[in-house]
Amino acid sequence: MTMDAGSAGIGETGFTLDDLSDYLDRGRTPAIAAIDNSPECQAMLASMERMGSLTRDLVAQDQREHPMLEEGWLGGLLESISREVRAGRDIPLTAPDPRASLSVTEGAIRELIRSAGDSVDGVLVGSCTLEGDVDVVGGLVTVDLAISVVLQTPVLELAEQVRQRVYTRLLAHTELSIGTIDVTVSDVHIVTRPAADGDAS
Amino acid sequence: MSLASAGDALLAQRSADGDAVAFEVLVRRHGPFLRAYAIRLTGSAADADDAVQEALITAWNQLHTLEDPSRVRSWLVSVVSRKATDQIRSRRASDELDDERAEDPGLGPEHRTESSSRLDALSAVLAHLPEGQRQCWVLKEVGGFSYEEIGERLGMSVVTVRGKLARARATVVKDMEAWR
Repeated sequence: MTMDAGSAGIGETGFTLDDLSDYLDRGRTPAIAAIDNSPECQAMLASMERMGSLTRDLVAQDQREHPMLEEGWLGGLLESISREVRAGRDIPLTAPDPRASLSVTEGAIRELIRSAGDSVDGVLVGSCTLEGDVDVVGGLVTVDLAISVVLQTPVLELAEQVRQRVYTRLLAHTELSIGTIDVTVSDVHIVTRPAADGDAS
Repeated sequence: MSLASAGDALLAQRSADGDAVAFEVLVRRHGPFLRAYAIRLTGSAADADDAVQEALITAWNQLHTLEDPSRVRSWLVSVVSRKATDQIRSRRASDELDDERAEDPGLGPEHRTESSSRLDALSAVLAHLPEGQRQCWVLKEVGGFSYEEIGERLGMSVVTVRGKLARARATVVKDMEAWR
């Protein structure tokens, strides 16, 4: 042991380093007066806390020294996930030949909805869900999407534009009959300039 | 409108819906921290790279289970912790010479206090801790995990975790005295 507090404990309180370490991790509750009133114990607790926060600083420094991921590593990761695409349900389309069956994946429809919504300036689509008879040709579906908008833009107008573009896009590319398209503005975001520091790249 | 300006919650939602581009933005944003954390935890850049890669593939497949998408960063930290500790355990099983790693003969205490900065000094002190102590320390102080969670991850009892943490604290506090 590197620091022998002896049988009297730290600051003659009878508490050992283990006890103090425990006390710190319990958030110093329930309060133990003997520890709280001992300058030696308080100094030790403060040192322990400082070393914890310094360790977090150390990891933050490691991160600053290597702010970019290695592109080869990243490429490998992205390739792996592209092989595990979550396509979702199959949404049927009318086949020109009755012996054939055609369908489009829910994932592809979502992609369509996102790109339609994102095409409105100042809007980013968050989650989007399709409810209803998606597995029937021409089934009635409801689209629910959450969007984030740039601050200081007329929110209602943006939401309406998103609704219209999503509707037009779905009409053009699917056979779904669209019931309602509910657009919820769930967030606002700030446009980062390309020159800004940080991780916007 | 670029996804790089989007918040974590929106990116996590899109990723959960299968948007690989949004996921890539999340990975670029948080990957460097996850990697730095995993290196401190496993003590090896190669192991860390493997653990983070595996963790992110798991995350991609499980993102739809995340209830609060705004907490995606801490969720990713927990997934990385899981993969990194799995790796530590399997390495431990195949490496009976574990204790020798801990007794690295390299730098002595004198050298440590000559380090150019407080963080370098801490880095050296942590590198000289026995592995189990260092892992408990990093999981606790950086990962923010409880004794129970650490014990479960490292296959140790809560009592063992408590002891290792206390010993790690004693060593770090003592060796870093000069830097107070």
